[in-house]
Amino acid sequence: MVTVVISTVGLFAAAVIVLLVRRDRLHTNHAMAWLVLAAGLALLGFAPGIIDAIAHRLGIAYPPTLALLLALVALTIKLLVVDIEYARLQNESQRTIQRLAILESELESLRERLPSEPAPGARHDSPGSE
Amino acid sequence: MPRPDSPGPASAPLIVIPAYNEAGNIGPVLAQIRACCDYPVVVIDDGSSDATASEARAAGAQTLRLVSRLGAWGATQTGLRYAVQKGHDVVVTMDADGQHEARWVEDLLAAVASGAADVAVGSYPLRGSPLRKLAWGMTRRVSGIALDDITSGFRAYNRQALEVLSGWRGTMLEYQDVGVLMLLNANALRVIDVPVEMRERSDGKSRVFSSWLSVAYYMCYTLLLGFCKRRSSPAVRAAGEA
Repeated sequence: MVTVVISTVGLFAAAVIVLLVRRDRLHTNHAMAWLVLAAGLALLGFAPGIIDAIAHRLGIAYPPTLALLLALVALTIKLLVVDIEYARLQNESQRTIQRLAILESELESLRERLPSEPAPGARHDSPGSE
Repeated sequence: MPRPDSPGPASAPLIVIPAYNEAGNIGPVLAQIRACCDYPVVVIDDGSSDATASEARAAGAQTLRLVSRLGAWGATQTGLRYAVQKGHDVVVTMDADGQHEARWVEDLLAAVASGAADVAVGSYPLRGSPLRKLAWGMTRRVSGIALDDITSGFRAYNRQALEVLSGWRGTMLEYQDVGVLMLLNANALRVIDVPVEMRERSDGKSRVFSSWLSVAYYMCYTLLLGFCKRRSSPAVRAAGEA
């Protein structure tokens, strides 16, 4: 029964990831990591003997411990990658806000240097211009 | 007060003032600067909800408005980037709460102009509560920084320091004190203390040390940063050791 649940969770996760990519809610490069995780879950569900064999070879007495440890390591790495990406995005966002402020001030300076503002509704193009 | 983008020597020092909800203070601060020196001033309004920006403009300062709050260092870095873009070789940063007195600006500039240092920090270690002094002591020990006043935002930066601090690594920092000093250290830039006097804040409150929770966060952040970035041969020294 447990194997059926695990493989179902894996397949369901894969379906949700594909759906999110289809609806442009998830980048394809991020989806790859999640699909690997989903495939791992499905594999464990369909062939539960794999984890037992590996655990036996590594000398782990209780095989589910190995499965949990691998899941924990995978999630930790994923969270770390997310934090690194978040730091990069925050940095870019902050620098964009700064640049916007600088450009806005330059725009105001240029406006102040113009001889006069055109009246509202006035044509901006000269008669001969395209 | 000349505008920063007005024609004139590009190497003229620029005074950068980050401001958040300082509508009541910014006018007198700018008037005091004008009375002491004739350098262009740029005020960076860090998303204030009051009339800080319009007060600064009315007082004749170039004003940059951030659409989202970046904190004191984020606002200061905006001014540094602006200075680099405009070709200024030296920047003096001051607080908008009236704590820093413009009469010391020339002392900071002289320390940088003489070549004695790349960055001069206006130092007034007498200020601050025992808690702040304890925090300074711990930070100095962990980071290896030997300056007297590591949290002072009253500083003069030369062109090399501006280039370093306006880069993306500078944007990774949250506060202007230890992280900035260690970034300068990592780039082999020399930082010295210049003794100045400071007034009490007009509202009597520190934004960083506003609550026990913010103090705890600041200390954890600063100590971790100091530990991670520590170098074996610090270039950041007190004036006597430079």
